Amino acid sequence: MTITKIMEALRQPWQLQLVRFTPHMVVVLILAILPAVVPAYVQGTWTKFVIFALFALGYDLIYGHVGLLSLGHAAYFGAGGYTVAALMLHYNMDSLWVGLPLGILAAALVAAIFGFMALRVSGMYFLLVTFALGELLYSVTWNWKWLSTPGMQGISGLPRPDLGIPGFTWNTLSFYYFVLVVFLICFFLVHRIMNSPFGHALRGIRENESRTQSLGYNTWLYKYTAFIITGAFAGVAGVLFVYYNRLISPTHVGVATSFLPMIMVIIGGSGTLLGPVIGAFVIVFVEYFASLFTPERWPLILGAIFVVAIMYARGGINIHLSRLWQRLINRYGSTKV
Amino acid sequence: MSDVSFSVERGERLAIIGPNGAGKTTLFNLINGQMLPTSGKVFFWGQDITHMRAYSRAHLGQARSFQLISLFLNLSVLDNTLITLHGIKRSRFQMLRPTTAYTDLLAKAREILSPIDLWERRDELVRSLSYGEQRRLEIALTVALEPKLLLLDEPSSGLTSAESSEITDSICKLGRDITVLLVAHDMDLVFGIADRIMVLHYGKVVANGTPEEIRADPRVKEIYMGIEENAGNTTAT
Amino acid sequence: MELLLSSLVNGISFGMVLFLIASGLSIVMGLMGIVNLAHGALYMVGAYVGWTIAVQLKLDFGLAVIAGGFGGALVGLLIERVFLRRLYKQPNEQVLLTYGFVYILSNIVIWVWGGYRRLQFTAPALYGSMYIGGMPFAKDRLAIIAIGIAVAIALWYLQNKTRMGAIVRAGMDDKEMTMGLGINLERVFTFVFFLAAFIAGSAGVIGAQLLGAYSWLGSDILLYALIVVVVGGLGSVQGALLGGLVIGLIDTFGKALFPQFAMFTIYLAMIVILLAKPSGLLGRKV
Repeated sequence: MTITKIMEALRQPWQLQLVRFTPHMVVVLILAILPAVVPAYVQGTWTKFVIFALFALGYDLIYGHVGLLSLGHAAYFGAGGYTVAALMLHYNMDSLWVGLPLGILAAALVAAIFGFMALRVSGMYFLLVTFALGELLYSVTWNWKWLSTPGMQGISGLPRPDLGIPGFTWNTLSFYYFVLVVFLICFFLVHRIMNSPFGHALRGIRENESRTQSLGYNTWLYKYTAFIITGAFAGVAGVLFVYYNRLISPTHVGVATSFLPMIMVIIGGSGTLLGPVIGAFVIVFVEYFASLFTPERWPLILGAIFVVAIMYARGGINIHLSRLWQRLINRYGSTKV
Repeated sequence: MSDVSFSVERGERLAIIGPNGAGKTTLFNLINGQMLPTSGKVFFWGQDITHMRAYSRAHLGQARSFQLISLFLNLSVLDNTLITLHGIKRSRFQMLRPTTAYTDLLAKAREILSPIDLWERRDELVRSLSYGEQRRLEIALTVALEPKLLLLDEPSSGLTSAESSEITDSICKLGRDITVLLVAHDMDLVFGIADRIMVLHYGKVVANGTPEEIRADPRVKEIYMGIEENAGNTTAT
Repeated sequence: MELLLSSLVNGISFGMVLFLIASGLSIVMGLMGIVNLAHGALYMVGAYVGWTIAVQLKLDFGLAVIAGGFGGALVGLLIERVFLRRLYKQPNEQVLLTYGFVYILSNIVIWVWGGYRRLQFTAPALYGSMYIGGMPFAKDRLAIIAIGIAVAIALWYLQNKTRMGAIVRAGMDDKEMTMGLGINLERVFTFVFFLAAFIAGSAGVIGAQLLGAYSWLGSDILLYALIVVVVGGLGSVQGALLGGLVIGLIDTFGKALFPQFAMFTIYLAMIVILLAKPSGLLGRKV
């Protein structure tokens, strides 16, 4: 929303304004204020939700906007996370200002290599190849001893990031706000990309690649770039995850983790900004509750939710919610904002 | 296709006709870059573009409409227009500015959409437009890029005769700095526009001349008669 | 020399198991256009069912193979009829759905058969080795190879010499035309799916002599099968056979020669194919 649009909107009658802005206000409320008033263990889960919302949001660029189903996406998540973890393990480097950029770079690099190979084929083969490449990285994390604290699989005992501010220590809440800030920056970036000519071209490719090509777009380049960008966002999520979880292991780079952004995007609604966020919220919190009552059956529940969502909730929750809001807006005012 | 050789003059209107399967769309695919020839060359304004990718040809000045409407159905009319307009501009790589910030292109979009009564409906999804409206939009977008070469593949298929004559009019109104290649079955459209007509049959050029020459050509009559005869055999008299 | 020979035998027999799974996957993908990621899970279900029959109930191993086949086929048909059928022409959704079922089936297997231990079992008749030309060969490996060859011949015959096979191949090339010729393609689809699932399930029991059964076998074997399909090419029995043998041998020799980097040999093969001939060794243009 630009300044002019906000000014224009503020001149509307207050009922219309209330309805128009309520979704945004609710989101602000939930994200910024709620965590401050809940107990610490909920704050932790909330942090996890925001991290995965970021992962899902990035994933949606390649899935919702370009229309390519990339399996094995945990590879880029893991590339970012393991980079930060390895820096801390072997070089005692825990500075955020080194870890985060290097993590993003690593993830983008892996995405550049994998994406190049995967985009040599299309359709079904693309799916198979992205899946296999994801498994490749999983094997690497399992077998390469340099990526593990001695005596176990994975790296543990990781500290929170060092901001370089003297005397500053982290607590659960301040860490949450840190994650939220990173998330909001990425959210803003995705919003910009979505609405840019580049983003429009991506959707054109999704709708009809031939036509987009004949209009003058080098579609391969767009797909490749989008793939790398998605990988980079996954890397950010991976870095944040390692700071949050203080442990990373091969499981975090496996099939289960690759699954998560896909199911979040499907449930929440692809091709939109809020959809992946809603999906992340649902999955993270359902997992939390499931882990309290039936931790062994959680994968089964997740799989079942997934199957149901694919069969019946095609547009995702986001579509249903936005239709609801449309109806409310129509009831309270007929002028288009 | 075999042994198809022809050239087109700048500003000329060449219509390509022939029975189904004669290779007309294939010819377009070769010119526009969706297919690469196994032998032979394609020259565009003196430049050999035989192996040039499809997306580069747009920058040289080609624009094409497709036999089956290929608009982006799930995107809005405005989005379709803006994507088309950005295609040959450097701004198409821009990732951080919203498309609506490009006010000059927005104004151009208005210029394109108003005459066909779609500016008011610019936020509607293309799939909610009627077939005729979609065709009109597609043609308008293809012309909007002011290409050097316009490739129109069955622009009036599926349209009512009123809509077809609209299309014929708008193509006639195009300036002579645009060269038009037209594939069509609608003879009114063909004879209304064409300076020259080329007839394809089973991938070969059968005839190539002015409309009068083609009308009088016995081989052409034979091809179309043959089709009519077959059609006649299946309908009861 | 003995190491070379036993690796060869291991590699070929593993390759045969891979062929059995990949053949079903490849034909279903090529014909019905469905990427059934649950295919590996069907193998796993078959293996567990076979274990119950052969080890828990101590019945005939041959019966176990057939039971495993039906186990896999039943689950496969359930997924196809109830779910996949509704997702016609939506490849992304099909992939996601079947991916979800891998999850579900893995968890069900833990629930029903419990625990995470690997169950390895062999047909009692195939214990031990037999001697050919003075060299020992494990009997179960040889049996697997023999079965693999038999199935390959049968499938090849089915694909190229029968009317059913002709219909399948025609359907792969041009679905509309085939249907237009008055052929009930839907029934053929269901039969093909059933056959593929049955083979996968019985392969699970046969292959259990090599690989055993464990809860994440579904996705492990899926990975191998997918790489086989990429390397060998989509849509043909020959492609699956060649791909299976190549991957089986590369994997086995890789693990024997470079144990540190064992897993990566197959990925390397896949990457080479992707760069050199993306449609696979015997595949058509992608």
